[in-house]
Amino acid sequence: MSETMEFDTVSPASQPEALAAIRQLLADCQLELDSKIDVFVVVYRQGSLIACAGLSGNIIKCVAIAPQWRGESLSLQLVNEVVQIAAERGHFHLFLYTKPENQRFFTGCGFYTLVEVPGHVVLMENTPVGIQHYCQRLRMLRQPSNKTGCIVMNANPFTLGHRYLAEQAAAACDWLHVFVVREDVSFFPYAQRYELVTQGLGGIPNLTVHHGSEYMISRATFPSYFLKDKGIVDSCHTAIDLLLFRDYIAPALGISHRFIGTEPFCPVTNKYNEDMKQWLQHAHCPAPAIEVVELSRHVRNGQPVSASRVRRLLSRQDFNAIQALVPPSTLQLLLSEYAAEPAPALERYG
Amino acid sequence: MKIIKPALAGTLESSDLQVKVAPSPDDTLEVVLSSEVIKQFGQQIRRVVDDTLARLEVKAGLIIIEDKGALDCAIRARVQAAVLRGAACEHIDWEKLS
Repeated sequence: MSETMEFDTVSPASQPEALAAIRQLLADCQLELDSKIDVFVVVYRQGSLIACAGLSGNIIKCVAIAPQWRGESLSLQLVNEVVQIAAERGHFHLFLYTKPENQRFFTGCGFYTLVEVPGHVVLMENTPVGIQHYCQRLRMLRQPSNKTGCIVMNANPFTLGHRYLAEQAAAACDWLHVFVVREDVSFFPYAQRYELVTQGLGGIPNLTVHHGSEYMISRATFPSYFLKDKGIVDSCHTAIDLLLFRDYIAPALGISHRFIGTEPFCPVTNKYNEDMKQWLQHAHCPAPAIEVVELSRHVRNGQPVSASRVRRLLSRQDFNAIQALVPPSTLQLLLSEYAAEPAPALERYG
Repeated sequence: MKIIKPALAGTLESSDLQVKVAPSPDDTLEVVLSSEVIKQFGQQIRRVVDDTLARLEVKAGLIIIEDKGALDCAIRARVQAAVLRGAACEHIDWEKLS
């Protein structure tokens, strides 16, 4: 059978005809074509497409096999081929989304379940020790504390709103863990965001600033977060991200409370906050519940402080207005790296 | 031999195995083995892997093995290939591979 099957790759950007066939095959399997796929592995038999698997960065998606060709041999070869192509592209740590009923098959292909949203979707990774090693490293950063809080922030960029939230949370806890979203797809690069958080939270004694990871608001755990400008929210994605937090990250650090700011502007973040109460606090789950504490957003001059507002003001180069919303460290970075005319601006606001 | 980057060798086909190697963040050597025949042959597979790593003088790294019932010679060859790729080795000491 396999002699008559041809394996090939399709690059969605440059092969629209091949892509149309992929779209059709996915539709036949009740799947949608993801717009972010870098490359597809495809299998043809007598000129017609019978199987495909997409790779988006280090995430395998859009895996489909025409019903009459389903069987261990072809699907195994397909996964094998994607894993090899990912390796050629420098991706060794892979994630995979699939339906719960296909979990068993992928387990046979070296994938291990991270988290399942029952009846909907499973996130797997291709290592038996990936998240375990990550949690081991987190456990070494545990602090003696009865009430341990956590904030996950993108800080794009860090504002007085972030500072306010952290101050409130730190005052309410024995120890506070602050994670900075690591995925580098925001306006401000990760290195800058992390630096600004570290500087901006200076002087609060009972907190640790952590680097984010692929297991927390990343392209793997929460793809739609980074499409938030499009207003796309997928509740399965928020569930995956939040259950990972509840099952692995929170127990490793002993986190019992998660703090969030109310979200008046961004529908994705607002939905995430709402889902947080469901998945961290109410949903049945072997891991202990985590109390979600929503604090009202810091208000300056009658307006809530938000990073998106700072970015809008920055696009107008309105440093006067920005100055009221950010700590000196953020202002300094904005002036030195993002001002159209850095020198005079520094003098005025430095 | 020092593993300096992640690398992959082998496949998940029946009678083969897939070996993934990666540098170890804390300089320890960790071998994680999963096999369809772990009950009968787990110890034997581990011996072959440990011996192959020792001959290549691999002292640190994360070695993940998905075995599909491979013979010892295949295990040895796949582990060697993954380590050589991960060590970015230019000059191969063939005697150590025998």
